[in-house]
Amino acid sequence: MDDLEQAIVISFETGAVDSALKSQAVTYCQQIKETPSICSICIEKLWFSKLVQVQFWCLQTLQDVLRVKYGSMSLDEQSYVRKSVFSMACLEVIDNENAGRVVEGPPFVKNKLAQVLATLIYYEYPLIWSSVFLDFMLHLCKGAVVIDMFCRVLNALDDELISLDYPRTPEEISVAARVKDAMRQQCVPQIARAWYDIVSMYKNSDPDLSATVLDCMRRFVSWIDIGLVANDAFVPLLFELILSDGLSEQVRGAAAGCVLAMVSKRMDPQSKLPLLQTLQISRVFGLVSGDVDSDLVSKVSALLTGYAVEVLECHKRLNSEDTKAVSMDLLNEVLPSVFYVMQKCEVDSTFSIVQFLLGYVSTLKGLPALKEKQLLHITQILEVIRIQICYDPMYRNNLNSLDKTGLEEEDRMSEFRKDLFVLLRTVGRVAPEVTQHFIRNSLANAVESSSESNVEEVEAALSLLYSFGESMTEEAMKTGSGCLSELIPMLLTTQFPGHSHRLVALVYLENITRYMKFIQENSQYIPNVLGAFLDDRGLHHQNFYVSRRAGYLFMRVVKLLKSKLVPFIDKILQNLQDTLSQLTTMNFASRELTGTEDGSHIFEAIGIIIGLEDVPAEKQSDYLSLLLTPLCQQIEAGLVQAKVASSEDFPVKIANIQFAIVAINALSKGFNERLVTASRPGIGLMFKQTLDVLLRVLIEFPKVEPLRSKVTSFIHRMVDTLGSAVFPYLPKALEQLLADSEPKEMVGFMVLLNQLICKFNSALHDILEEVYPVVAVRIFNVIPRDGLPSRPGAVTEEMRELIELQRMLYTFLHVIATHDLSSVFLTPKSRAYLDPMMQLVLNTSCNHKDITVRKACVQIFIKLIKDWCAEPYSEEKVPGFQNFVIEAFATNCCLYSVLDKSFNFSDANTHALFGEIITAQKVMYEKFGNTFLMHLMSKSFPSAHIPQDLAEQYCQKLQGNDIRSLKSYYQSLIENLRLQQNGSHVFR
Amino acid sequence: MALPNQQTVDYPSFKLVIVGDGGTGKTTFVKRHLTGEFEKKYEPTIGVEVHPLDFFTNCGKIRFYCWDTAGQEKFGGLRDGYYIHGQCAIIMFDVTARLTYKNVPTWHRDLCRVCENIPIVLCGNKVDVKNRQVKAKQVTFHRKKNLQYYEISAKSNYNFEKPFLYLARKLAGDQNLHFVESPALAPPEVHLDIAAQQQNEADLAAAAAQPLPDDDDDAFE
Repeated sequence: MDDLEQAIVISFETGAVDSALKSQAVTYCQQIKETPSICSICIEKLWFSKLVQVQFWCLQTLQDVLRVKYGSMSLDEQSYVRKSVFSMACLEVIDNENAGRVVEGPPFVKNKLAQVLATLIYYEYPLIWSSVFLDFMLHLCKGAVVIDMFCRVLNALDDELISLDYPRTPEEISVAARVKDAMRQQCVPQIARAWYDIVSMYKNSDPDLSATVLDCMRRFVSWIDIGLVANDAFVPLLFELILSDGLSEQVRGAAAGCVLAMVSKRMDPQSKLPLLQTLQISRVFGLVSGDVDSDLVSKVSALLTGYAVEVLECHKRLNSEDTKAVSMDLLNEVLPSVFYVMQKCEVDSTFSIVQFLLGYVSTLKGLPALKEKQLLHITQILEVIRIQICYDPMYRNNLNSLDKTGLEEEDRMSEFRKDLFVLLRTVGRVAPEVTQHFIRNSLANAVESSSESNVEEVEAALSLLYSFGESMTEEAMKTGSGCLSELIPMLLTTQFPGHSHRLVALVYLENITRYMKFIQENSQYIPNVLGAFLDDRGLHHQNFYVSRRAGYLFMRVVKLLKSKLVPFIDKILQNLQDTLSQLTTMNFASRELTGTEDGSHIFEAIGIIIGLEDVPAEKQSDYLSLLLTPLCQQIEAGLVQAKVASSEDFPVKIANIQFAIVAINALSKGFNERLVTASRPGIGLMFKQTLDVLLRVLIEFPKVEPLRSKVTSFIHRMVDTLGSAVFPYLPKALEQLLADSEPKEMVGFMVLLNQLICKFNSALHDILEEVYPVVAVRIFNVIPRDGLPSRPGAVTEEMRELIELQRMLYTFLHVIATHDLSSVFLTPKSRAYLDPMMQLVLNTSCNHKDITVRKACVQIFIKLIKDWCAEPYSEEKVPGFQNFVIEAFATNCCLYSVLDKSFNFSDANTHALFGEIITAQKVMYEKFGNTFLMHLMSKSFPSAHIPQDLAEQYCQKLQGNDIRSLKSYYQSLIENLRLQQNGSHVFR
Repeated sequence: MALPNQQTVDYPSFKLVIVGDGGTGKTTFVKRHLTGEFEKKYEPTIGVEVHPLDFFTNCGKIRFYCWDTAGQEKFGGLRDGYYIHGQCAIIMFDVTARLTYKNVPTWHRDLCRVCENIPIVLCGNKVDVKNRQVKAKQVTFHRKKNLQYYEISAKSNYNFEKPFLYLARKLAGDQNLHFVESPALAPPEVHLDIAAQQQNEADLAAAAAQPLPDDDDDAFE
């Protein structure tokens, strides 16, 4: 070994080598690389060194030098490199017995040599080295070594330059085009011929070499003349290879890959179809039944699915009757094998089962009636779906306990199923009867099945049924169309294996809920439905997730069946007793699930049943008291306990009280106002007593937000249920809610007041008279007089709360004004807040960024003017109000804010606001008469530079009866003024 | 050519080559294993650094000599020379930088030219970063080339073991091989939003049902 060889070998070492020595070696190699004679140094070493590290380094260095310095190399040097590496690749012997042979080295050395040649082709083909391919082919007769090298060069060319799998620079793309064009003209037919000859010659003696050649050829099919490969010579040869049992799988698979490349080549469908036809693809159908894991089976599977995709594409894109028929025949021929592949084999990753099948099913959509073959295909498709959606039994326990793995698997599957279910429903629309029969049979088979995965099969069949129902019309469900009238009873009466499994139990209950329309029409099945929910398949299921979900679904079922359930009330309540007492005595800590599935749905369900008018009065009050008494007791006991609880226990106690309130609330939803107040006042009394208990919660813990909000919700509900009977409770309730309330809580309070006002109108006057001043003082203490700035950008959480409060205040004021309650603004206690209130409403009506809020404020003004201003020239009810309206509102809001360019007439909301402003002007004229007109003419209009004549015309319109013409006149007046003002600015 | 003179051990050891664009986190990834050291600052790897990483399987201890190669240099060093005699590989990209995924096919090609038919894992790193640019469903390359794909976060240790477990199973030819104790990992620097990551994994599963785009570029625009 000379110095360079040693340095190269050392620089490849790691670990044991002294690092100083190594860095010395690396530096030495780098220095050699910089010497001018580097090319000849490398070539010399390549001829004589037998060390693979040295060979690799020299070839890598040559490639680097060519890439960086090709342009600056002398012609002689270029020619020297070209001739040398070509000789190495073609086994041209030099006269020295010590010569090493690079092409006999390990694959990575041969590949590096091929890369160097590809780099030369990049710079020299076709201008400088036009004969490279033809010259190379002259040496192919030397046998396997050169043929293998030739293929490596073509592969390297594809990798480095042609293939679209890698990012390319624009320069590379144009060089690739140049190389491909020259090759097509000059040598591609010869190359194709060589491929053919080699494969024919070596197919038996050296199948690996044949496979190498075919793999190389596959890469070129996409850009060479298809006739060079899809012809009478090649196609028979390829199929002969694929079908030869005696040959290695590798060469057979490589041949299949070539056929797939031909089939997938981008072509005009008009010429593609005959190509597909001539292949006689059915020849290879039998091959997919081999060993699933074999390379050949996966290659042939890919060929069949790729072929089917292309046939379907031709069917879609060709419209003549002939071609439609031909492509449909080809499709019918290949489909059974494709189905087989989908069910039994690993599907090629580029093939999307769902997309292909959706495409196929959509070809059937327009057909008047499906033929037997097509119906058979539909069943096959359904079977593919069924198999694909089955869970793997290995996850059974994970899915049951819903641990981390189970959760991941369920998420994955539900995402995966989405597309398949779209396909299912599409199939269901094309062939509803076949689909229903299929589902029924899958269900029946799954029940009978003794296979290890019967739980998964049951789950899959039930999921099919559930998903299918999503696309079913209400009518079809009611009448039990198809075999639904057989399916649903079967669902209700069959004992399914694996019902103890979470997934099976869940999808079972979801199915019952989905198909309730059928049960509604066939009430003989109600006992079965109740059984499913009340026994250990539903609310008493051992799995916590199932029993909680069952509570919610049961509520939905009850909502649909309602009075049909009256005969079963006793049975239902009996069965639920343990569940209810469990829920109410449960410690919060064990309540795991919160939110929508906290268990309160079961109370709602019961409320709906016992709240029905069909339930005899006496029984009804018995039932209700049976439920309410323990809940109220729980609250009362909770209050006592919470008071003395340690800070650690306190949240638990509060949560228990909270749950009882939520349960009472849910229970009360089933009782309507008429029943509670008119026909059965005794029931009303019970709710009033409950309200009493709940109000005590506010007294005991006024500052505990969750309790406060739950009690508020209950008051909302009682306003609806008890109607005016709730009145006596309001002062106390409102007083408690108002005590020490934060801005955020004030919002909730005003929502309650709004509900009360809307429900009871002016009957609320006295209460409101007391409450309004308290609300006003709170709010005007925190909100600035001219309102909060409505600037865009980031706002703090506190600011957001204030903005929310302000917005609710506008609604509140609007509700007061529009329900004839404006007199509450004028009571002695409220009087102090009149001024800030009016200023706020005025500012908002002019400036608020939300146009609908501005509209509401203008409406408040309109109502107040109507309420507070009598006929013209009579004594003022609210001294100063008239002046304020005329001077401030009429000018700032009705004129200036409209003149502003941001007031966009083409915006629908703004247009509505404009309508209110016109109404306001009209009302002002009616109430103030000439005083209003005089102010307009003498002050407002001149200040806006409105010409006298236009102003007069406006006043005339205002006095007339045609509000529409007033509106359009005012709009054109404003638009003209905007134009003029623009002009005057320009001249200034 | 002999394997480089690593200090030999009396249990099975394998040469694992880690490739990918510069800055995708190859070095951070191998250094999570506490037999290697731990570095916070980004310093581009020069040439190659070899880290021996041990794992304990039900069939005994195994060692991966991880060849952490430089992702950046163009013409210096040995580059694909380091791949020689590689027995398995990890291709790394950064889910927050599209270009690093775009270059994955090139890394794969260069690797396969030197090491024919070795098991390879594709790793999308930095899934802990909120603003990812390569969505799970856009990652399709592994399906074309039959590679295994894992989303990882070197910083939070998320899925750290998965690539090694996959490679160990392939190399041992035993699908049931498993690690019996967790390797000592450096404590996570960030905590992964598990919910968001589960969504990504769901996306990935859904993507598996989708057809591959004709051209990789489709996934990026």
